[in-house]
Amino acid sequence: MPSVTLKSSDNKEVNIASFQGKYILIDFWASWCGPCRLGNKKLVKLYATLNPSKIEIIGISIDTDQNKWLKAIDKDKIFFLQLLDPKGFDAKTALRFGVDDLPSKFLFNDKGILVLKNPTDEQIINLIN
Amino acid sequence: MKTVPKKYILMFALTILYAATSQAQIAKAEIRATGLTCSMCSNAINKQLKSLADVENVEIDLNTNTFTVTLKDNNSLKPSVFKENVEKAGFFIGSLILTVKPEMIKNNDYIIVKGKENSAKELQIQVLDKGYVTDKEFKKLVKFYKNSETFNNNNEADFHIKILN
Repeated sequence: MPSVTLKSSDNKEVNIASFQGKYILIDFWASWCGPCRLGNKKLVKLYATLNPSKIEIIGISIDTDQNKWLKAIDKDKIFFLQLLDPKGFDAKTALRFGVDDLPSKFLFNDKGILVLKNPTDEQIINLIN
Repeated sequence: MKTVPKKYILMFALTILYAATSQAQIAKAEIRATGLTCSMCSNAINKQLKSLADVENVEIDLNTNTFTVTLKDNNSLKPSVFKENVEKAGFFIGSLILTVKPEMIKNNDYIIVKGKENSAKELQIQVLDKGYVTDKEFKKLVKFYKNSETFNNNNEADFHIKILN
């Protein structure tokens, strides 16, 4: 899993690799991306059913406008970790992960190895249980 | 005194004329893309446009869902290059507005169907042909221009344009 440090929605510097030891789902999105906003709502529901000691969901937005990002988090009632890499598709993290479409999801296992790209809810549940 | 033969004068004039028309060009293209999925949610159009040699810069406006492409001086691009490349990226053009030098539309490939040539330094033109507007809009345009012979020919080398300024 790449070691990437970004600013969170509560203004902290967070390294995504610091959660290693459990499954990590990285979700790339942006406030202006309609399908992502629908996906957020589904992810919020899914996250509520998962055991937080087994999996962490981390949203990474490529929004260039921080206010729009924060408003979207509020509106979609996202309560899992949210990080910002505010450069659109040119964002370093997006380039590092090879993100060319939004939304894009990457599931890493407890050893930090990428196991699935764009997994379904079912695949996630089956893997971590 | 020796006089310059007339044919040389004509050749000289033609050279100047040719030089002037070779500079006729598209300066900027504003592309709105459509497709089955969110066109702005993909980096494909941006990447495809940036890969073109005559493209200087691509800017994305997320409020208007528009790709603004700035082109290099003295390019000889045709509007079809935008259609081809947007489609290569898996999307379609919803609207294409070009900023061009007035000389460009004097070329036989361009047919003005709305608006007039004017003294503006740069013209803003919209291409109205099939593949340059939404399907729904094109159906309306076909009805509206049913008496235009060329519009209904769908000749890909002809561009029917509306002058916006």
